[in-house]
Amino acid sequence: MAEKTNKFAEGVKIGYIGFILFFAFIPLFIMVVVSFKSNDQFLQNPWFFDNPSTWKWENWGVAWDTVSGYIANSIFVSFTGTVVTLVIVLMCSYAIARFDFPGKNVIFYLVMATMFLPGTVAALVTLFDLLMNMGLVNSLWALVLMASVGGQVAGVFILRNFIEDIPKELFESTQIDGGGHYAQIRHIVLPLSGSIIAVTCIMDFLSSWNNVILPLLLLRDDELLTIPVGLFRLDGEYVKQYGELMAGYAISSIPLLIIFLFSMRFFVKGLAAGAVKG
Amino acid sequence: MSSVTINKLDKTYSPGKRDAFRAVKGIDLEIKDKEFMVLVGPSGCGKSTTLRMIAGLEEITGGTLKIGDRIVNDVAPKSRGIAMVFQNYALYPHMTVFDNMAFGLKLQRMPREEIKRRVDNAADILGLETMLDRKPKALSGGQRQRVAVGRAIVRQPEVFLFDEPLSNLDAKMRVQMRTEISKLHGRLDATMIYVTHDQVEAMTMGDRICVMKDGNIMQVDGPLNLYNKPQNMFVAGFIGSPPMNFFKGTIVKDGTGTSFLEESASGPGFSLKLDDRLIAASEKGSSQSVYLGVRPEDIEGASISDSAEIEAVIDVAEPMGAETFLYLKTPGGHDFIAKVQATHSFKLGERIHVRFDLARCHLFDSKTENVL
Repeated sequence: MAEKTNKFAEGVKIGYIGFILFFAFIPLFIMVVVSFKSNDQFLQNPWFFDNPSTWKWENWGVAWDTVSGYIANSIFVSFTGTVVTLVIVLMCSYAIARFDFPGKNVIFYLVMATMFLPGTVAALVTLFDLLMNMGLVNSLWALVLMASVGGQVAGVFILRNFIEDIPKELFESTQIDGGGHYAQIRHIVLPLSGSIIAVTCIMDFLSSWNNVILPLLLLRDDELLTIPVGLFRLDGEYVKQYGELMAGYAISSIPLLIIFLFSMRFFVKGLAAGAVKG
Repeated sequence: MSSVTINKLDKTYSPGKRDAFRAVKGIDLEIKDKEFMVLVGPSGCGKSTTLRMIAGLEEITGGTLKIGDRIVNDVAPKSRGIAMVFQNYALYPHMTVFDNMAFGLKLQRMPREEIKRRVDNAADILGLETMLDRKPKALSGGQRQRVAVGRAIVRQPEVFLFDEPLSNLDAKMRVQMRTEISKLHGRLDATMIYVTHDQVEAMTMGDRICVMKDGNIMQVDGPLNLYNKPQNMFVAGFIGSPPMNFFKGTIVKDGTGTSFLEESASGPGFSLKLDDRLIAASEKGSSQSVYLGVRPEDIEGASISDSAEIEAVIDVAEPMGAETFLYLKTPGGHDFIAKVQATHSFKLGERIHVRFDLARCHLFDSKTENVL
């Protein structure tokens, strides 16, 4: 671009971004810093690394021993929940976007309305009651169920608009070629809205991965706990071992980091696609 | 290959509701085997709806549709033996040209070698051999449309359906693709049904043309017959560019013979002596009130002494090179267009005399708007 850049405005912009990034990353940084400290070291200097020779690597060992048993549970719940959500989101938004049926708008608005209902915390008592009657208390399936029914709304909202924007001739030409609805979803919707779907999945995965309150409430047996609840086990009865706790948090965020690194491409593209698709 | 027979075909959107709309009003049409039939008409005339009903993309609300000897009203699109080319190409952006063309065949679980053979054959016909590995994004509009045609060819359908396939192309490309599709018709020897709103496409491509308006068929005929013998004012005005001029007036009989007297708007209307053919026609009318239709190309400059001459004033002159379009006004205050040889330059406001070629004039009933 030939347009002259205003140095001052650029500076303000970068400064602003830096400011936000700083506050976004400082807790993570401190988490890593503290994970190498004993409680004494933590109380003396919580802000930066000490001399590497005094690092307490044992914290990570203790944290791993505590958390490792729960990783599989967390992955199972988040993964299954996300897959079920994805299938429901796809079918629901495809149906709403492509078919005309009586009451279609009412159904869509009802689905949207659930976005404005109070979340898990407000409905906790009734939710617990419901799950208890379903015999799902102290079962990972309760979490899978909850993960599968919460995340669709935003997904349906975004994906419906996206599917409606796909030229209908693409679907019709598949129809003439003999493709049914499955083929239309598989060959048109999935490839064309891949980034949107990836974002929906990641959001969903994150929210069930980080969910504390439901597993805390529903799970009794130690071997069923998910990571966030399992981390409470590190929260000693009398003394808080900050170093071990922080190491545990760090370990529990590693899978998310891995997922993010692999899906960053989709993430950026998807957020942009939703915004400026023209 | 096979014929398409449409019998009392009817399409009503949201029937029985307040916003019910009857897009196609019980039309009959017989499209012969290996014929190139063009459906033409202004926007909203029902031509695309008709095509989509033939394709099976719209439900038929009345009448029957036969492809070959089979009634296909309730047959799924894939089993009708048709292939369709859409206006916006409908290519899958994430697939290569090869995969786009092969997609339908893959869905039919055709053996890989057969798919390759058919796609290569289609690519050969359309000159796409070097582009098979490209994505649609890397192709020009004309090439994309060729891929879309290729996708239809590989299915080896009995009937090809084209829904305004050239409308997205620029003018030059449109002319080129037009001839290519015509050649393709000769080469594939298939039944083709082609929808367009462009009368030039219709005239140049169709074996027969079906002119539609408001869900009704106005006339079905060969291109030259449509031009020379329009059945009604709509067809007469739709086919030909610039369109046919219509003058409203009355038939007057006096001692010297029968003549057409233009209805006056601002000044005295012109009077035109009719020849025997037009007199015979005028007697068929329900009243004395008629429309006289004359094409711009059937008007020529004349000298004052000519008995059939009409005086006119030049509003605008558009030199096109080989000929000049004159936008004229009669003394009666009506506008009309003449297409004359560009032998000399015309001045605006100039008063000239023109003569109508009576052998090529038409009279239309003012009530029914049908030809007399």
